[in-house]
Amino acid sequence: MKRAFLLILLLNACSPFLMAQIGIYQHGSVVRMHMGDCVLARHGFMATFGGPAAPVAQEPCPEYTLLSDKVVFVIVGKSSNQLIPLAEIIDFRFHNNELAVRVDDAKRETKFTIREMILRSEWERTQQHIEERLRASYDPAVDRTIGTRNQP
Amino acid sequence: MTSLTKYGNWPVYAVWGLILAGAALSSAADSPEPTYHSTVSEVRLTLFATDEHNHSIDNLRSSDLAVVDNEFVVRKFRSFNLSSETNLDLVVLVDSSQSVLPHFRKEITEVLQLISQAQWTPDDNVSIVTFDGMEPHTICAGNCRSSFSADRAATLSTGGDTPLFDAMAWAARFLMQRRDPAVRPVIILFSDGEDTSSKVSAREAFEDLVMSEAQVYAVDVNRSVPASSGTLTLKRMAEVSGGRYVSIGEGAVKILHAVLDDLHSAYVLTYAPPASVAEFHSVRVLPTRNLNLQFRCRRGYYHPGSNDKKRSP
Repeated sequence: MKRAFLLILLLNACSPFLMAQIGIYQHGSVVRMHMGDCVLARHGFMATFGGPAAPVAQEPCPEYTLLSDKVVFVIVGKSSNQLIPLAEIIDFRFHNNELAVRVDDAKRETKFTIREMILRSEWERTQQHIEERLRASYDPAVDRTIGTRNQP
Repeated sequence: MTSLTKYGNWPVYAVWGLILAGAALSSAADSPEPTYHSTVSEVRLTLFATDEHNHSIDNLRSSDLAVVDNEFVVRKFRSFNLSSETNLDLVVLVDSSQSVLPHFRKEITEVLQLISQAQWTPDDNVSIVTFDGMEPHTICAGNCRSSFSADRAATLSTGGDTPLFDAMAWAARFLMQRRDPAVRPVIILFSDGEDTSSKVSAREAFEDLVMSEAQVYAVDVNRSVPASSGTLTLKRMAEVSGGRYVSIGEGAVKILHAVLDDLHSAYVLTYAPPASVAEFHSVRVLPTRNLNLQFRCRRGYYHPGSNDKKRSP
């Protein structure tokens, strides 16, 4: 019995590692991060009949834009200190309508609420449009003043 | 025939052309070498890394961190170096008002003496400036390592009012005027954080501080418990600029070590700012692997294009 319990514990601890070996994780890169509103995750019976929500601390939560091959996710942490290391590539997987993120060889996952999912092609089109608008609003006179100011 | 008439005088034109070219060349030789200016948009960040035990990390690699600049994650840096390879432009600001200097003259004199005698590199600049009454008084500018002595510190005059924000803005603009990308601007401030007579607002002083890119080491001479609003102001100055807050109660040697350790253990990185129309860019440094790493740096910068302030000290 004790051995079985230990075996279960061991398997549980190694599960992200095993899942990585099996190839269950998708890969992506965090391109944006900011501290924003926390997503209040109340669903189902309690959300409907549970009365008004308890006051939540006004601390901001980290929000990440995660680029995968085909989809761009906007994910939100559940507390202000739920940070993920900003490695070039991170592993993630779906888990009960949430995104479980694993970083490098970390032995644990951290779960994020999904705020938005956009097709990557659509997201890139939007970004391109924003960049074009930025370039259009760019005033070269500003740069001239910098050049003048920096002259000895 | 027409064409012959039209181009028939070409030898004359050629001679005139040669004469004019020669004149242009000789005038160019007389004038100083032409200077070419180009706009380089680059952000320079001085940062400090500590582990979970608050110990400095001396083997940090650029791949260990990412900068979050106005939400954009930046992982590609143009340069990443230890700051010990950078020269310093240090301004020591001393509150010489009646409420501070007479009570802490011994402590401040000790620290000033240690600072002026510290092991700076030959190209480091150290200036000492006091402030009270209407304006800051420069004790020595740039050359304090050779010209400052304990006797001089002991006889610093004292005044009535405390124009803290004026003095901070003055020091920031002083450093901005001397700005050199290869030099790190640093301010060591001795004060109780209370302002009684500034013409410049707190907001303007903080703006100038951010623009100067100087780190503030705020030495608090307050001993009141709980912390006064002055203490909070000093903490805020240190936090915004990526510097440090220390209390005078820690002693002159400890204060000096805190400052010197910091100055020698910092890293300097540069990167191209992400495209944005925002004037102010908030900055945060975060780890890429080890979440136990803690980073300290200034909280943001004004995009070069938005910096059109030309106030002089």
